[in-house]
Amino acid sequence: MEKRQVRNNIRKLRFHHNEMTQEQLAVKVGVTRQTIIAIESAKYSPSLELAFRIALVFGVPLGEVFSYDAEDDPA
Amino acid sequence: MSYQEKNITVSLVTHLLIVGYYLVNLFQMHQAGGLVSTRVFSLWVIVIAAAIIINIIGSILTNILLSIVHAIKTGTEQEERFIEDERDKLIGLKGIRASYITFSVGVLLAMLTFVFGQPPLVMFSLIIFFSIAAEIIGDISQLYFYRRGF
Repeated sequence: MEKRQVRNNIRKLRFHHNEMTQEQLAVKVGVTRQTIIAIESAKYSPSLELAFRIALVFGVPLGEVFSYDAEDDPA
Repeated sequence: MSYQEKNITVSLVTHLLIVGYYLVNLFQMHQAGGLVSTRVFSLWVIVIAAAIIINIIGSILTNILLSIVHAIKTGTEQEERFIEDERDKLIGLKGIRASYITFSVGVLLAMLTFVFGQPPLVMFSLIIFFSIAAEIIGDISQLYFYRRGF
């Protein structure tokens, strides 16, 4: 199974929300800026709760923020 | 470098200094004709107390210094967000796991010296050494995860 299959559109969504900075997003969802950087670069997959909080900030469904690439998933 | 990384770096430097002091003293004792129980016991007390006290003081000083630097940088008295989120907790747990593995292997190695006929002082000295070494490995692994991104 390939790693890092959870992809995201956070950078694009930030841009479309008045060019929101990573720090601003981090404050809104209650994490550090480093965590937002790690999520954006797909190095860290957030918990379901944090994923929902990020989607709530942008006012879009979860599926518009995160997507799952099931290409190499044996299941 | 994030707040957590700075804290871990301070902890790492502290542990390295303590383990250095411990090894130098053990080596000097060995050079002077072997381990003397009274001197070894007092060394253990010093090292364990130092590991606890210096870590606490180091952590407090780091917090104060970081707050001062933040206030100077921003020019306000607004507190910096020293928060620990889910990723920090996960990295912390991975660090603890690395520490436990190191300490477990260390204890086994220390017990082996007893099996091979070394005095108990050697075994306990090695256990103390591996307890600090485990902390060092834990700190290094946490820094590694922070630098890698996760």
